[in-house]
Amino acid sequence: MAASSSENDLKTQVPSSNEAEQSQIQAIRMPSMEEIRAQEVWNNCAVRSVASGVMGGGLGFMMGVFLGALDNPIMQEQMSGRQQLIYNLKQMGTRSWSSAKTFAVMGVVFSAVECVVEKARAKHDTTNTVVAGCVTGGTMSAKAGPKAACVGCVGFAAFSVAIEKFFDRHT
Amino acid sequence: MAAPNTPAGIDKEQAFGMAETEMEYRVELFNRLAQTCFNKCVDKRYKEAELNMGENSCIDRCVSKYWQVNSMIGQMLSAGGQPPM
Repeated sequence: MAASSSENDLKTQVPSSNEAEQSQIQAIRMPSMEEIRAQEVWNNCAVRSVASGVMGGGLGFMMGVFLGALDNPIMQEQMSGRQQLIYNLKQMGTRSWSSAKTFAVMGVVFSAVECVVEKARAKHDTTNTVVAGCVTGGTMSAKAGPKAACVGCVGFAAFSVAIEKFFDRHT
Repeated sequence: MAAPNTPAGIDKEQAFGMAETEMEYRVELFNRLAQTCFNKCVDKRYKEAELNMGENSCIDRCVSKYWQVNSMIGQMLSAGGQPPM
């Protein structure tokens, strides 16, 4: 009986000291199910690659518009000013659409490969970036033959690592 | 349960003691599991506040294996009575 009462006293002491701590310090709040699910959405490889593809497409479009504006078209004397403007806009549109497609494919492939490799290895490393960059560069240059694919692989992998180191430079 | 007071009292005491032991065991298991998997999976150079995908899948696997090993050993101990040497 004495042992159980002392155990009971110990049990009542522990919650009160916890309460005192909680009144001074903010209690650690475990994430709710909605928060966990919202974070889990971004752990899905498909969602990540689609989002990356959309961002890549937007970036490619911006780049195409910018470079198309800089590029001076062939001035044809027969067309009036307004026709020249429309012609320029069409050129810019075609060019930026193809650029957007290229960048979108690049984004999707890179993001998907990196996601799959990281999930399989269960480690967050630069090796994931290297493999993803190599596969992306290789598939994009694959049409020009195996040697071009190797060069594209190495080049894009180096570029990806450089970009990642650039974005993580403060840590 | 129409039983005299004393056996019911002892049963309650025993049940309380068993529940307390079980609770302590569970808390200890959780603490050790969290510590082991955290030390194994999370790199100590914290670069961001959230778990990235590699750490997430590492923790999934770690917890799953730990739990499986724990239940397997628990079954062996409870069935055998003595661990086979």
